[in-house]
Amino acid sequence: MDFLVSLAEGFTGIVSAGGENLVSLITSILPNVLILLTMINAIIALVGEEKVNAAAQKLTRFRIARYTIIPVVALFFFTNPMCYTMGRFVEEDLKPATVDAIFTMAHPITGLFPHGNPGELFVWMGIATGFTTLGISTTPLAIRYLIVGIICCFVRGCVTEVVTNVMLGREKKAK
Amino acid sequence: MKPVVKVVHGPNGWGGPFTLTETETQTVVASITGGGIHPIAERIAELLGVPAVDGFKNKVEPENMIVAVVDCGGTARCGVYPKYGVKTIDVIPIGPSGPLAKFINEENFCSGVLVEEIQLIEGDEAITAAVEADVESAILASEPSASAKFAAEGSKVAKEAAQEEKQGGFVGLIAGMGKAVGGVVNTFYQAARDSLDIIIRNIIPFMMFISVIVGIINYTGIGNILANVIKPLAGSLPGLLVLSIICSLPFLSPVLGPGAVIAQIIGVLLGNEIGKGTIPTQYALPALFAINAQVGCDFLPVALTLAEAEDATTNIGVPAILFSRLITGPITVIIAYLFSFGM
Repeated sequence: MDFLVSLAEGFTGIVSAGGENLVSLITSILPNVLILLTMINAIIALVGEEKVNAAAQKLTRFRIARYTIIPVVALFFFTNPMCYTMGRFVEEDLKPATVDAIFTMAHPITGLFPHGNPGELFVWMGIATGFTTLGISTTPLAIRYLIVGIICCFVRGCVTEVVTNVMLGREKKAK
Repeated sequence: MKPVVKVVHGPNGWGGPFTLTETETQTVVASITGGGIHPIAERIAELLGVPAVDGFKNKVEPENMIVAVVDCGGTARCGVYPKYGVKTIDVIPIGPSGPLAKFINEENFCSGVLVEEIQLIEGDEAITAAVEADVESAILASEPSASAKFAAEGSKVAKEAAQEEKQGGFVGLIAGMGKAVGGVVNTFYQAARDSLDIIIRNIIPFMMFISVIVGIINYTGIGNILANVIKPLAGSLPGLLVLSIICSLPFLSPVLGPGAVIAQIIGVLLGNEIGKGTIPTQYALPALFAINAQVGCDFLPVALTLAEAEDATTNIGVPAILFSRLITGPITVIIAYLFSFGM
């Protein structure tokens, strides 16, 4: 009997600990995310897809823009997963590198702009919760996350471009 | 044979595609767009060779409508015509919404339509469409109660419309301004609806899932055991480098990717440890990159398809990206480590 009681108590304990966590997530994070999502969704609708596409098409020619600005624009305006459609503006051989750069932005964007990848918020939010628990502001971390994210997009884009070229070269030789 | 027009939804729109054609009973294109004939209604009418009627000023029975063109931001009109079985084009790009949303489906509703995308179709496809339309109109005609009810509603709308008849000059300017403001308001309203949809479909379910895991970890003490495993990996630069290499192993990364679930769980675990002080805060930034070296690896072929890459490019691109991650995974951790001084 005692065993059953402690089992039941243990189970209730897990449930209420989880419930507490859920309430704190919903009261602290959710209202801000809702308002931010609404504002940014409206801005995106007002700016219009065509204008963003036209601007992006011009930018893709430059390597530095292709692996820095494009990923941010793609995630901000088109969000995961439609952001990868930006890859269609680049030359065939550059597509893997461009897509890889966009992937790299998929989570760094969420620190400041959670609408970019709302289904996968907790990579960022999980770690940021630690800061909140300690009473430290998460904004400096979010800004650094985005900046480092952009640098990493550039590095990854360049490396993948080289790797793709090497592999394409081998393929051609084999033929 | 009667001409057949095909309608598809616009860039942000929803619903369709469907075909339109004149039948014995359905003979007009109705434009219920706050006075005047909308260019889309005009274009369809022109292609079909039928009159376009201003539904605000003149009463049109729903069973006589080939299609109803409305400019509804998602409150009432967008659902009214689908409810009565009339194919509806909403010039504002919205999804099914409003109190009548349950009557809106892809067969009877198409939004955000662009004038230049309306086109005539020919051949067999047109014949089938025409036959279908005849059958549909027969069904609609055999429902007298629906049309009677609608007539009552229609006359009410017509009365309201008569008061705000289209006028030039000052009144016209005010009406124009009103429409512009209405457009912005509708955009924000739709944005709010979309946001709530995302919250309910994605964010809250994941919060619940995470809360269950946190509940188990915090209450049972499994957390302490996990902390002992995680601490050496996430609490030092070499540990984080090892973690990033594990995550970017080409045979592991596609398995770790889906929905970023694993990265998210590890993120929550690390956040827990940072909160407790087990892991110093300056490792937060490099950790964000270490646990995520596999980002998107499960999604590569799909993403390349979205980028309209050819098959040959995809065949090279997928292994190229997987291999590149092995190099760039640790590099991103080092960059993040360098950037976390002074945190």
